[in-house]
Amino acid sequence: MAARSQEDAKVEMTPMIDVVFQLLIFFVVTLKQEDILSKLMASRPAPDPTAKPDQQPDLIDITVHKHGFIFKGKPVSLEGLDRTIERYSRGSKNANVIIRCTSDSKQRYLVQAMDICSKYKMKNLSIFSM
Amino acid sequence: MARKRNSESGEMNMTPMIDVVFQLIIFFVVTLRMTKEENKDIDLENGKNGDTITAENMPVQTLTIEVARRHPILAPHGRISINNATCTMSQLDGILKKRYAKFGSFPVLIKADKDAIHEDVRKVMDKCTANGVWKVGFVAVQDPKDKTKRRRP
Repeated sequence: MAARSQEDAKVEMTPMIDVVFQLLIFFVVTLKQEDILSKLMASRPAPDPTAKPDQQPDLIDITVHKHGFIFKGKPVSLEGLDRTIERYSRGSKNANVIIRCTSDSKQRYLVQAMDICSKYKMKNLSIFSM
Repeated sequence: MARKRNSESGEMNMTPMIDVVFQLIIFFVVTLRMTKEENKDIDLENGKNGDTITAENMPVQTLTIEVARRHPILAPHGRISINNATCTMSQLDGILKKRYAKFGSFPVLIKADKDAIHEDVRKVMDKCTANGVWKVGFVAVQDPKDKTKRRRP
């Protein structure tokens, strides 16, 4: 066996190297790392105009509008919202969080608010549309 | 001049050139199909605290609905698609109805662009609730790895 490969003597390596390099380049170029995605779950209650969510004791009511967030009637920043949710989460993780979205609000604020809730393990999220 | 030199060198080896040309053709055919599948109008917001989406925790019944950002001329009312195939609200309704009849309640994920307007997202959510799906999930980027994507602020 070994004798045969010695008989052949010169084995043409160039085409093999060519092809291997091309394959290498092909895989480097086509390799695309996929983003790791996450999901933020929320329930969607039926719009009930008679419901008065303010009567419930532990309820966090966040409004998402075009330019940011409103909490208890005052505009809050993302950091402010983070602190607020953190404070509430120390009391109970089961508090109901209601996120109200105006129809012209952007998806990013909703996702940011939901992300904060997820950070502090608040799982009872509902989304209302206004 | 050129003709003279060519005829002088006699046989010209064409094989490597053909090899390279074929490889290039295969390369472009394959990459062309890859880029088509992606929805360019969807740039997700970061959400590093959500549950990671893996093949295991995503049941086969899951329906992912894409909501693109609005475009003043091309899509003034947003664009709703499933696997990058545009669908109208009535088509979406039909899809949800069929799926509900088949599986019962099934998970719905909404993949909405960060600049998508809530009005468009709401329409999708309303269609879901009308068809018995009360829990929806929003997709966010947990760990951005795709460096080819140019992210808008």
